[in-house]
Amino acid sequence: MTAIQHTGTIAFGPTMKVQSYALANGLRLLVEVDPSAPVVCLQTWVRVGSRFESEGKTGICHLFEHLMFGETEVSGPGVFDRSLEEAGAETNAATFLDWTYYHQNLPKDALELSIRLESERLTRLVLREPQVASEKEVVSNERRQRVDDDIDGFVSELLYKTAFEKHGYGIPTIGWMPDIQGFTPEDCVTFYKTYYAPNNVTLVVVGDVDPPALLGLVEKYYGALEASSIPPEVERPEPPQTVERKVSVEKPTETFKIAVGYKSPAFEHPDHSAMSVLSEILFGGRGSRVHRALVRTKEMASEVRGSVGSFKHPSLFDIWLSAREEHDADALLAALDEEIDRIVREPVTQAELEKAKARIELGTLQGLESVSGKAETIGLYDTVLGTPAALFDKLEEQRRVTIEDVHRVAKQYLRREARTIVEVAPSGEEEGDDEDGDEEEEAA
Amino acid sequence: MSKLFLESSGALPIVSFALAFHSGSAHDPPGKEGLARITARMLRRGAEGLGAEAIEDAVDTFGAEFGADAIISATSVHFEVIRRNLDPFVDLVARLIGTPTFEEAELTRLVREAQSELVEARDSDRSLASRAFRRTLFAGHAYGRRTSGSIESLGSITRADVAAFYARHYTRANALVAVSGDIDRALAEAVTERLLARLPEGELIADPTPEPLAPKGRQLVFVDKPDRTQTQMCIGGIGAHAHDPDHYDLLVGNTVFGGTFTSRLMAEVRSKRGWSYGASSRAGFDRRREAFSMWTAPAATDAAACLALELELLQQIRAEGIREDELVFAKNYLSRSHAFEIDTARKRVHQPLDVALLDLPADYYSGYLRSVEHVTLAGANASLAKRLPEADLVVAVVGTHAEIGAAIEKAIPDLARVTVQPFDLE
Repeated sequence: MTAIQHTGTIAFGPTMKVQSYALANGLRLLVEVDPSAPVVCLQTWVRVGSRFESEGKTGICHLFEHLMFGETEVSGPGVFDRSLEEAGAETNAATFLDWTYYHQNLPKDALELSIRLESERLTRLVLREPQVASEKEVVSNERRQRVDDDIDGFVSELLYKTAFEKHGYGIPTIGWMPDIQGFTPEDCVTFYKTYYAPNNVTLVVVGDVDPPALLGLVEKYYGALEASSIPPEVERPEPPQTVERKVSVEKPTETFKIAVGYKSPAFEHPDHSAMSVLSEILFGGRGSRVHRALVRTKEMASEVRGSVGSFKHPSLFDIWLSAREEHDADALLAALDEEIDRIVREPVTQAELEKAKARIELGTLQGLESVSGKAETIGLYDTVLGTPAALFDKLEEQRRVTIEDVHRVAKQYLRREARTIVEVAPSGEEEGDDEDGDEEEEAA
Repeated sequence: MSKLFLESSGALPIVSFALAFHSGSAHDPPGKEGLARITARMLRRGAEGLGAEAIEDAVDTFGAEFGADAIISATSVHFEVIRRNLDPFVDLVARLIGTPTFEEAELTRLVREAQSELVEARDSDRSLASRAFRRTLFAGHAYGRRTSGSIESLGSITRADVAAFYARHYTRANALVAVSGDIDRALAEAVTERLLARLPEGELIADPTPEPLAPKGRQLVFVDKPDRTQTQMCIGGIGAHAHDPDHYDLLVGNTVFGGTFTSRLMAEVRSKRGWSYGASSRAGFDRRREAFSMWTAPAATDAAACLALELELLQQIRAEGIREDELVFAKNYLSRSHAFEIDTARKRVHQPLDVALLDLPADYYSGYLRSVEHVTLAGANASLAKRLPEADLVVAVVGTHAEIGAAIEKAIPDLARVTVQPFDLE
């Protein structure tokens, strides 16, 4: 039997600790013991996401996430969900650009059942035509709900597709509809054998566990699994964007919307913290600059949002504005640009900086209230930044951000030639559009 | 003295508050729908010596959150702050709650903002389906009105309306306080006193709403929206009351029907046929009898078949009930997952708050495990047959009427009434 090795004790904030372990087959285990309630969160983070996909096969990570709740060589169809629900557990999963993770919130006495079922589906899933066909329909409906009939989702997909011409971040995680409907069981088997192996997985366990018992269970159910050879990622670096890109669409809505994406640094880049503070100053709450200007003072927008992507590779500082009835997209963009130009031109104030940092600190603490919040934080930071406690490193980095840092990143990243704009007009508002209502242009 | 509920926890250096009043949108006068919510939202837009922007800056500088909103039966002012800033933040909130200025210019600005949000909400098909369902099911009743009001009713709200609503409902006798996080009882009591110091004693306000009556027969309300590839669908009728003797019987029965990922609805609609990403049913509760509803979102091409299947499943569970193994499953699920209803201090403190605020049975949460355990097969099946609506049913659909309207009508046996409404009706 493979012995489990303790590989480190990592401070997780001022009072908590994450214990790190590894099996010989490459599986990693991160544990934070929290006995405050008789519950446990078990998450399985797989280091594959939609950025690894290629055109023609988009959405395979996400479709596969759905299939993971199906039959295994040991447990029949529906057994996974049914037995965990009967044990009082809640299961879910998520797929995004850089990762896929499987989540279980469970009463502490269901730990062995959960670990057994998780280990079974990691390498012994059964992939047959009826299940794949049915799940393709479910995912197609999910796509209709989240993208095709949802303006926000549609625009976000179009923004990333337009902004990333080479990199996998231009691929929508849910996949293009023809690709979803074209997948075969063979595609799924190939994907499974390529990426689902203990050496591509990190287990995160947070909650009321007895560490020796937990280690015994992990060794029992995962120790015999064989490592596989995970292919190196095919790098598709995005060339620098030198021209502003703009796409216009029509939708059955009553108000104009715009989405704007500025190319922004990777999560691990030191500038990411300054960009996070900048984003907070522009969009963090009702007292932020853009909310105050566009919603309160000028009364042009009903909703404004902005955030910096927290991804492995450089992504977008992603902005969404929804106009009030009497304002069009050009007016909205002009009003946004006034605020963008101002933050590029003039340093922010010390008071704005302190407000932004205080908001970030509160948001960080709020994310750690539950076992699942902590598990997700540990898994995300470990997967994207390589260390489970990186949240607190980031928090420290953000605390050190200066007015000069914010001004520097504003000038460096908020450049018009490095941005992409998607405009939505109410159907029938503009004349002369092409037949399918989509129009694309590149403007200097 | 207002009642205080407390759950202390030193897990994180933050403190959370919920200051709740027994009054909500059910207390909106006719024609002034949205008043309770507008009054709550005005709290952060001006207090003695502080303008709206100064308030926002102060909240953010303290590393805090402040929100105030109304639901049908209550108004809640909730706030959270990093522990080291508790003291000055409590002073700020006490001013916001106790000395709002309700400036005319701020009110008209907020009304315009709220009206634009109503226009924006028309983009959400799910929200459109929910509104169509409730305004049809609860026609003429406060539960059918919109908590956020209508564009017209918002425009009629005056400063005097807001000031009067505030004076009557924001009182100590009408308030409850729930505190959780890094704070002990002595400090929580002292802080509560400071928060409420400027409110008058007032009186406990009664709920003016009668029990809702189910509209007779089967009604289809079709919200017509162009270019829909998918159909948001809500089916249901008048359902549960927390004081029903069979309330937990229904809870267990509904868990089997549509309350979990492996429920009958999910198994038939999603797992077997792939027709909808989600399929669920809910028996909500409030001070009065609330709705029972089923939710799905099938592709437009599957919508009629999905609707027919849901009606068949509803008929089947009312007529035949659930099986013994399903009962055992549901009871195990509810009792074993109960740990997640009380795993954080915030969740624990909100249970007694809800009991007091919504006039739930005193042991609604504290006796939860025992109540679930006592449910029998006969009890669950009798409750499903009695409480689930079938003859008096509302079907709310958002889709493109020209494409699926006829098929949807055909899928509903004994359909008594059809209404087609534009998606920008309200």
